[in-house]
Amino acid sequence: MPNIRKTLTVGELANAIKMLLEDGIGYVSVTGEISNYKLHSSGHRYFTLKDASGAQIACTMWRSRQPGFDMKDGMNVVASGQVTAYPPQGRYQLDCSSIAPLGAGELYLAFERMKEKLSALGWFDTARKRPLPQMPLCVGVATSATGAAVRDIFSTLARRMPACRIIFRPTLVQGDGAAEDIANAINNLNKTDCEVIIAGRGGGSIEDLWAFNTEIVAKAIYSSKKPVISAVGHETDVTIADFVADCRAATPTAAAEIVSPYTAADLLIYLTDIQLRLRRSIISSFEERKREFMQIAQHSAFRRTAEKVLQLQQQTDELEMRSAAAMRRILWTASKDLDAIERRLMVLHPLSPLQKGFALMRHADGLMFAANEMVSAGEHIILQRLNQTASAIITETDKSPIITVSNS
Amino acid sequence: MKKNIKQEISFEQQLSRLDEIVDILDAGEKPMDELLVLYEEGINIAKSCREYLEKAEQKIEQLSVKNDVSED
Repeated sequence: MPNIRKTLTVGELANAIKMLLEDGIGYVSVTGEISNYKLHSSGHRYFTLKDASGAQIACTMWRSRQPGFDMKDGMNVVASGQVTAYPPQGRYQLDCSSIAPLGAGELYLAFERMKEKLSALGWFDTARKRPLPQMPLCVGVATSATGAAVRDIFSTLARRMPACRIIFRPTLVQGDGAAEDIANAINNLNKTDCEVIIAGRGGGSIEDLWAFNTEIVAKAIYSSKKPVISAVGHETDVTIADFVADCRAATPTAAAEIVSPYTAADLLIYLTDIQLRLRRSIISSFEERKREFMQIAQHSAFRRTAEKVLQLQQQTDELEMRSAAAMRRILWTASKDLDAIERRLMVLHPLSPLQKGFALMRHADGLMFAANEMVSAGEHIILQRLNQTASAIITETDKSPIITVSNS
Repeated sequence: MKKNIKQEISFEQQLSRLDEIVDILDAGEKPMDELLVLYEEGINIAKSCREYLEKAEQKIEQLSVKNDVSED
């Protein structure tokens, strides 16, 4: 007896197939090579996964899902998702919810291949790394005009060494044309009078940082006449540019610190020290000469003419006067410096809050209280205000203390 | 502006000249006259370096985007 089946509409059949696929296979992970990859203007991604057997399956990845890397034809990936049917075209497909490069990933392999190639060319040799200038007063910067990197570099240099001039070349650091633009920027900066170049960007995914793994950027760094510091991403991000560069900075901020090994503050302290040493030396030289003259004058006083003695004495006096004049000058400049330092210190002085109406509490003997020191009822204290000192007795040490104040 | 650039170029040289002067003065072997001249020079250099550092404000010069790759 023939098996008589119900006649279905196309739609019913398509739905039956859809349910069969969704229930029977459901959520799977599948490995394969991407082909026919298209990122539609809608944001949805369409591609095919195939393997060596020649089998293929259509895949979609909706806009709400992000692959997390730059998908390209030929990449081997593992895609996870729901097998389903698309009735309007009568075909089945995999709706991917996640996709990842297979194994080490194509980019990683490309990175390793580039690293091997350039290493073989000797581009990473430590012997060819140029020394960085010890105190650059002009630094070239190639990074994005909008990222955090440029702000970090500028503010670090402004804080450490404001005298250091910056030549900034706004640079495209990711996406199409980024590699070429970074290479251009390094070449452009080579034609300026900067002494060292910082090339970099803030953190990102391996795809975001990819331009710094390209041969064109490596070549620009390799051919640069000025030392190049790479400053790409965070501590853990390592790029080809880092290997070729004369110095690798963990972050853009670190790069700015590397080009300002001596801060303006360090140098000012050093200069003060130099001024003191100069003064000490000239005084001791003078004292020594004076002693020598006096000795000669005294010892040979009986053998030499009185005239000679007078001459020597006159010389001594002259030196003393000249030295005194020089000393007055230096003391005058030193006192001007001191004024400036004093003004700066005033801001930090513990009494400066008094200007704003605060009072400073001291023990009766004038000693200050430690921050965690407790005060007890009956204790005599002194309250110091800007233009007034008052002695007081603590009546209570409650959370809201009441203080009896009597003017002194 | 020109004067500024001159100062920047010579800042490091000024510091090394300062080192030189300190060494000579420390040794104290030259005639007193020369030492006094060097002393004054040293004090003046230290002063101008100080002023340079204290008055410095960050200068940022922006380079326009040009294509240079073809020139290599």
